[in-house]
Amino acid sequence: MISRIAAIASAVFLDAIRRKVVWVVLLFSAVLAVAIPALPSYGAGVAQAVYREVALALVYAALVAVTLALAANRVPGEIERRTIYNVLARGVPRWEYLVGTWVGIVMTVGIVGLLFAVVAIGVGFVTYGAWMFTLLQGVFAIWLEAGVLAAFCMAVASVAGAVVVSVASVAFLFVTHARAGLFAPDTLGWKLYPSLDTFNIITPVAHGSGVSAGYLGLAVLVFAAWSGILLLISSAVFARRDL
Amino acid sequence: MKAQPADPSSGIPKIGPAIRIEGARKLYRGGHLAVSDVSLLVDQGTVHGLLGPNGAGKTTTLKMLLGLVAPTEGTFEILGQPAGPAMSRRLGFLPEQPYFPPLLTASQVMMFYGRLAGMDTAAIRERTSVLLSQVGLEGRGADLVSSFSRGLMQRLGIAQALVSSPELLILDEPASGLDPVGQRDIRNLILAQRELGITVLLSSHQLSEVEAVCDEVTILDSGRVAQRGAIDTLLNITGQNSVTARSSADQLPEKIASIVGDVVVGSGTWVFSIPAHDSRRVVDVLDDDQEWELVSIQPKRESLEDYFSHLVSTRAEGQVSR
Repeated sequence: MISRIAAIASAVFLDAIRRKVVWVVLLFSAVLAVAIPALPSYGAGVAQAVYREVALALVYAALVAVTLALAANRVPGEIERRTIYNVLARGVPRWEYLVGTWVGIVMTVGIVGLLFAVVAIGVGFVTYGAWMFTLLQGVFAIWLEAGVLAAFCMAVASVAGAVVVSVASVAFLFVTHARAGLFAPDTLGWKLYPSLDTFNIITPVAHGSGVSAGYLGLAVLVFAAWSGILLLISSAVFARRDL
Repeated sequence: MKAQPADPSSGIPKIGPAIRIEGARKLYRGGHLAVSDVSLLVDQGTVHGLLGPNGAGKTTTLKMLLGLVAPTEGTFEILGQPAGPAMSRRLGFLPEQPYFPPLLTASQVMMFYGRLAGMDTAAIRERTSVLLSQVGLEGRGADLVSSFSRGLMQRLGIAQALVSSPELLILDEPASGLDPVGQRDIRNLILAQRELGITVLLSSHQLSEVEAVCDEVTILDSGRVAQRGAIDTLLNITGQNSVTARSSADQLPEKIASIVGDVVVGSGTWVFSIPAHDSRRVVDVLDDDQEWELVSIQPKRESLEDYFSHLVSTRAEGQVSR
C-alpha cells in the first residue's frame, strides 16, 4: 500500500516539478520579494516587519496559485486523458490513487514554498543584515493550508471538472477565512465555524517573534484533521464513480 | 499451450479459465443500457478476441472486469478468483489510445507502473531495457513522453502492460495508430506472449489482426453476445472446399464445370470452390487431366471481415423486422 502511494506521489511530483507554471510563479514571486524593500510606504523602524509581512503574503498567493494549478485539473485531466485507467486497472484502490496524488502535490508545493523561503530569507539578510528565520514558520503554516486546499480540490475533483474545482476552491478559501467577520471570538458560532485561521500566523511572524512549537504542533493536527476528512470524503465519493 | 482440465486421478488441481464473466449488465445513470447480457469465457494460454461494432459494449465489459465501472449485475472472475484489486495486480492492461504523464520520460513511466505492481527498482530497470527494445523504443528511455507520436505512445503502452510479467494481458486496440511494421511487431509480440503461456484478451476493430492471432473470438452486438467460438469453426463454411490448381487451359474440365463455383483465375492459377462431397471426384478428374495440376484442396474459409459484416448486418435486419 505504502509503496503504491509513494509510486503515485513520486510520479505526480516528477510531472509537477517540470511544469512551467510552477517555475513561473516561483520566479515572479522571487522578483517581487527582491522588490519589496523598494516599496514607498516603508517607515523607519518597521521596514523589516513590513518586509516579512509582504513576503509571507507573496508566499501565500504563490502557494495557493501553484496548488490550484496542480490540483484543480489533476484528477479530471487524468480521467479525460485516461491515464487513470492504467493506474486503477493495476489493482490500485481508488483511495490510494487520491492520497498518492495529494501527497505528490503537497510535496511539490512544499519544495516551491521552501525555495521561496530561501529567497526571502536571503533577500532579507542582504537588505537588512538580519537572518529572518521566523519566516520559515510562516511558510510552513501556509504550506499546511495549501495542503488542506489540495485535499479540498481532490474532494471536489472526485465528482466535478477543473473549472468547478477552481471556483469551489476559491470559495472554500473565502469561506474558511470569513469567521472573524461573522462571529465574535469565543462564541458558539466562532467555535463551530469551519475555519483555516489557525494557519494564519503572518502577524506574529511579521511583527513579533513568531509562534511556539506547541502552536505549530496544533497547526499540524488541524491540517491532519482537515486533510483526513476531505480525503475520506473524496475517496468515498470517487469509489462509486464510473470512469 | 492451452490449459487442459487435469486428470482427476493425477492430483493436479484443475486450472480454471483465465477470465469468466457471467451475465454482465451495465445500466448507466440516465438509463443508457451499455451491456444487457454478456457472458465470456477465456481459456488460459489462449488469445481471445473481443469484437463488435461501435457501441456494442466491448469497452464497458472490459471496464467492468477491471473495476473501472461498477456492474449493475454479473459475476466477474480473473484467474479463478473474483475480480478485484488483488487479481488485477496479476494482469497487464493497455487501454485504447494510451496516454501517459507528458513530462515523464519513457523510463520513468516504466518505473512508475513497475512500482505500482510491487517490483523492485533493479528488476524494473532490467525489464524496461528488454521491453523498450522489444516494442521498438530502444534508446528512447530518456525521452519525455510529450515528444512521442501516437504510434510511439502505443508502443510504450504495450511495454508498460508487460512490465510486471503478467499472467493475463488485456489489450484494447493494441495496433491502433501503428504503421504496418508496427502492427506486425505487435502481432508477433502477442503471439510470443501466447508461446510463454500468457493469456491475452484482445479487443480490436482490426479484423485481420484478430484473425491472425486469436484462437477464439466473442462477438458482441448491442450489448449482447452475438457469436462466440474458435476462429476456425466460425470461419469454415460447412460443406464447401476450396481448390487451388495450375493450368494453362482457358476453361475448366467439362466433367466438373457444373459443380464449381466462385472461380478466380490469375497467371495460370485457378482457385474455385466445390461441394465437399464432390472432392474425390474433382481430385480424380484433375489427376487424370494432363493439362491440370492440383495444388491444394482444403475446407473453404470465410474472412473474419466477411463473417463479421454478415453477422452484424443479419442481426440488424432481424431487429428492424422485429
